[in-house]
Amino acid sequence: MFMSVPPTENIVRAVCTDKWDGERLSPSLFTGRGTSVSRLAIVPLGDHWEMFRNHVERPPQRLLERIAEINVSTLQQIGAAYKDPIELTVEPKPEDWNPAHAEIPQNITRGLANQILPKLTLHSPTT
Amino acid sequence: MNTALNYDTRREYDLTKDLQDLASWTGLRPAMPSETAREELLLRKLGPRGWGRVYHFRYFYSQGWSEDSRPPLSPRALDAFTRFLERITFPSGVLPSVFLTDASGLELSWEDRSGQSVQVEFRSESIEFYRAASGEEGEVSFEQLETLATRLSA
Repeated sequence: MFMSVPPTENIVRAVCTDKWDGERLSPSLFTGRGTSVSRLAIVPLGDHWEMFRNHVERPPQRLLERIAEINVSTLQQIGAAYKDPIELTVEPKPEDWNPAHAEIPQNITRGLANQILPKLTLHSPTT
Repeated sequence: MNTALNYDTRREYDLTKDLQDLASWTGLRPAMPSETAREELLLRKLGPRGWGRVYHFRYFYSQGWSEDSRPPLSPRALDAFTRFLERITFPSGVLPSVFLTDASGLELSWEDRSGQSVQVEFRSESIEFYRAASGEEGEVSFEQLETLATRLSA
């Protein structure tokens, strides 16, 4: 049994071709239940590029375009301040391919996702 | 005098859910746009980038795409997406973005005249929408597609 990821940590999410067209970011990147994220406290950002690429680039035309980063406390504040307040948590869920893997178990609506998106820091590829 | 013809509506096969028509088998329904007409519509409403992305999602993202091995783009979602584009009017000079959702539907995102985000997600069973200007979000059936397009038009 793992404890929830502390608010001080930063988490990242892979942004692939299907969610980024060079101009806009898809709000559905953060909608729904069980959103997959990864913890920078376990695996540093620089190491995420190759790890994500090996895992998400299927088919080969689907490229890892960006990595989106947000602080857990910021995420929780957005949830608490939303018109339908929700207590967001990040739960560790290590996988063989990524020991830093975690999930946001709560259902994130499109309206709430639209509050989260502007707070994301988008990292560009390092190569 | 008009006389209703008594067609035999039994089928020799069963279509999977994704291939079933939006309208009932016996009912009247609008003609589907030809492939060429659809391509022209996509190019006109979405521009080369959006047109190219739909093409990309249709022909490269086959069964098993992504880390979660997702199904290919839903034909019903694509059909609803196309019919919506036939009816929607975007603000002058605005080209919407197109995304493939994790549920293998399509998502449109653009800004209204006040610069606020408008989003519509086409799923295999329904349509979800969001307007940042009013904070309104909801889900409608395919039968309400025309009404939604009118409401969201510039």
